[in-house]
Amino acid sequence: MSGVLAAFADEAALEEATMRLSLVPACRLQTYTPRPLEDDPPRSRLPLVILLAGMLSAAAIFGMETYADTASYPLDIGGRPLFSWPSLVPMAFEGGALAAVAAGFFGFLIANRLPHLHDPVDESEGFRRATRDWYFLAIRAPDAAALAEALSILDELHPELVEELPA
Amino acid sequence: MQPVVDPQETAGSMTDRVCAIALRERAFLWWWLLMIPSAALSGLLVAAVFWLFYAGVGIWGIDWPVMWGLAILNYVWWIGIASGGTFISAMFFLVRVEWRTSINRIAESMTLFAAACAGIYPILHLGRPWFFYWLFPYPNTMTLWPQFRSPLFWDFCAIFAYVLSSILFWYLGAMPDMASMRDRATRRGQQIFYGVLAMGFRGTAREWRDFRAAYAVLAAIMAPMVCSVHSIVGLDFAGAQTTGWHSTEFPPFFVFGAVLSGFGMVLFLILPLRRLLRLESFITARHMEVLARLLLTSSLCLAYAYIMDAFNAFYTGDVSERIFFHDRISGVYAGVYWWTLFLNIVVPQLLWWRRLRLNQPLVWLVGLAVIVGMWLERYGIVVVSLHRTKLPSAWGNYAASFWDWATLAGTVGLFFTGMLLVVRLVPILSMFEMRELLANARRQG
Repeated sequence: MSGVLAAFADEAALEEATMRLSLVPACRLQTYTPRPLEDDPPRSRLPLVILLAGMLSAAAIFGMETYADTASYPLDIGGRPLFSWPSLVPMAFEGGALAAVAAGFFGFLIANRLPHLHDPVDESEGFRRATRDWYFLAIRAPDAAALAEALSILDELHPELVEELPA
Repeated sequence: MQPVVDPQETAGSMTDRVCAIALRERAFLWWWLLMIPSAALSGLLVAAVFWLFYAGVGIWGIDWPVMWGLAILNYVWWIGIASGGTFISAMFFLVRVEWRTSINRIAESMTLFAAACAGIYPILHLGRPWFFYWLFPYPNTMTLWPQFRSPLFWDFCAIFAYVLSSILFWYLGAMPDMASMRDRATRRGQQIFYGVLAMGFRGTAREWRDFRAAYAVLAAIMAPMVCSVHSIVGLDFAGAQTTGWHSTEFPPFFVFGAVLSGFGMVLFLILPLRRLLRLESFITARHMEVLARLLLTSSLCLAYAYIMDAFNAFYTGDVSERIFFHDRISGVYAGVYWWTLFLNIVVPQLLWWRRLRLNQPLVWLVGLAVIVGMWLERYGIVVVSLHRTKLPSAWGNYAASFWDWATLAGTVGLFFTGMLLVVRLVPILSMFEMRELLANARRQG
């Protein structure tokens, strides 16, 4: 499998390149951009993960508090009911929120296989501009014919930079 | 309306400018001039804490009836300052205001260190700080549980969750910018440092998709969380039967005050930073204008809370409340009350005038005034309430000791040490969001 890395000066050029190159059979495309792209990408599943983590943690903490106050260590305080649930809400909320934030942070890392300190694209010196102002497209082709086709399409698009990608 | 960013700037020029600040080989002279006293004060904090752990809380000015002294009021003060940063970074992210972008990193970093300063006080105040872990509900041989029904325990949960969440939220938001730093760095040490911090973020379509979703949801969690944290701090007081505390207005009252001091601190920090770091084209007159208006608004909210506080003293019909209020406005600590009103309510009224809002030294001084004013407000709440208990035979006065003041000065040093390290090492503007802002501006212009 061989590949090529191309850079474009703006998002519109990258979008056009992505659209045209996606028609080349069996080519795998990966974009690297300095900011999130405008077009609506497929929805992330992370919000669902965050919701579940927060809700389950809050419920678990509430359950633990209920167990402690009613069964494990009941305390009569001024004759108040043992299961005085409103006073159990703050810890359940704070704990649930913390679990949700942690799920969002670590979920993001796990979903994207981070930390991922080295990648073949890093070998390209020009690639450093992917976190500045250029929009990069990495194209991986299964054979020489597909690569040649991709290169000929790239030629028409006038990219700022074209480099061979190490395998 | 003034632009939020100079139209001459591009994504490339902005990235280079912001990265260059942190990648400089040698720190600015002013950085050292501020860092040396800040680090010295942090050293004083370490000394004060060691002496406290050795000698016990008797070295502080606390004594019956004022058992909550400077430690608790400093805690409340710092956590209030912290909340202003979260308001700007989370609340205003959700309502999609564009002026938030260039100040949110500064505001969030402020939150981080203010919350750290706040977080150490309750532990210092414990008396037996080595047992602080008893606050966690962990299985133990004593078969004991924490008191889940106590506001003081809720407060521990709230601060614990808030500090950790703030760190994660800050770091997630900084990750794409750490990648920019990694790619701009030319020296090996810096490349490794920022490379590790960026964790390999490269801006692939999938990374951005998940990043955006996670960041937005985290912001939506942080916004109510910051309100809950300061409300629970208010409940620490309202839950007690103490004169001057036992009031249902305390949670919103505390949130108003927290937001006011937070905006005050943001203005206090960004006005000098934009000049010292030459960020005038990113932090513009528009930002000062908006923040000054927000400061004025929160000051008016707080004025309402002060009026309600005074009204309640008479509305309850409780003799001890009336005696306490009379003491508050004319007793030994009357100066605290009147200075609180002057600094928090009267001084911010200057910001009604646009000309004054754009006067940087004046706005900076107003920011400083409300920071000091909010400290005095907490002095009034903590100390003045406790010194007039319901039982006249237990009345007494309070004076902070040298070690109280040393701990306060130490946390101020710790805060500025942290902020200066952020200025030195971390991109001080959220660059990836600035790129979006610049792209939007280009499309519209």
